[in-house]
Amino acid sequence: MNALARAADLAGTILLLLGCLQCLLGVIGMLRFPDVLSRSHAATKPQTLGMLLVLVGVGLRLRHGTDVGTLALIVFFQFLTSPVASHLVARSAYRTGQTGSRGLLRDDLDPQLSDGDGTGGQP
Amino acid sequence: MSNLFRDRSPYSWSFRVGRGRRILDLPLVGWLTVIWILLWGTPSWANLVNGVLVAVCLCLAFPLPAVDIGLRLRPLGILRLGAYLLYDMFSSSVEVTRQIFARGPYHAAVVAVPLRVRSDLVLTATAVAVSNVPGGSVIELRRATATLFLHVLDAAEPGEIEGARQRVWRMEELVARAFGTAEDIADAARPVPEGEPPP
Repeated sequence: MNALARAADLAGTILLLLGCLQCLLGVIGMLRFPDVLSRSHAATKPQTLGMLLVLVGVGLRLRHGTDVGTLALIVFFQFLTSPVASHLVARSAYRTGQTGSRGLLRDDLDPQLSDGDGTGGQP
Repeated sequence: MSNLFRDRSPYSWSFRVGRGRRILDLPLVGWLTVIWILLWGTPSWANLVNGVLVAVCLCLAFPLPAVDIGLRLRPLGILRLGAYLLYDMFSSSVEVTRQIFARGPYHAAVVAVPLRVRSDLVLTATAVAVSNVPGGSVIELRRATATLFLHVLDAAEPGEIEGARQRVWRMEELVARAFGTAEDIADAARPVPEGEPPP
């Protein structure tokens, strides 16, 4: 039992470290990517994978039924709510034209937004 | 018991209270009670009773419209979806890490992905799943045509756009098999739309 507990502690520690690494990579991505939409790709890392790893790590160290239940609840609500926020950020970034200095290689959305008034949108 | 998860809607476990549209939705009451107990942190009879009381009061005070959103819970499908989400999170995370440290500016694109299932629930759940994976960024949703608009980071790379669309379609099928009705699953099993959509 003791060996099992130590193994769980070790695994929890490793997962915590991996989660922190994900968060660090997310921050580096935020610094390196030039525009809002690209940054949102990197910003998802700490929000989902990073948090999942950290919470599983915490769960492995706590090893108590209700605590693990609460952690699962956190994961559930985080997974349910964070897409709403990131969608709103991406949507407003797109509509205010913050698509990067080089523009988009291909844009399927613009013709739909300009509602086919004959002229079409900027490529 | 398996009926609950297969054919019947969870909403068939609700009953009407008095006149009007006050409806006691038993699965909802159960779920709220579970949250209540988890938030208090100690499973005890007092917490259970209080949780049920609070949940019933909430359901009566803020009645939700009794809409069948077509939610089915399929345990096997949910497990498969969860496993695929985990796998996708790790593999996309590696991909995004590579893109973070790669040199040079990117040429991004916004790609339309028409879904095959015309169900609000599957559309929402697919969008949530896609945007929870690193490297998935949903910009816009069209409900009328069930279309998802994705931001693809490295669109200049060959196959990147097609790959992103394939991932969304795969996710859609898994979501339909986890939460969809039989009709949704049949829709999701159809072949994906061929060719490029009009730009």
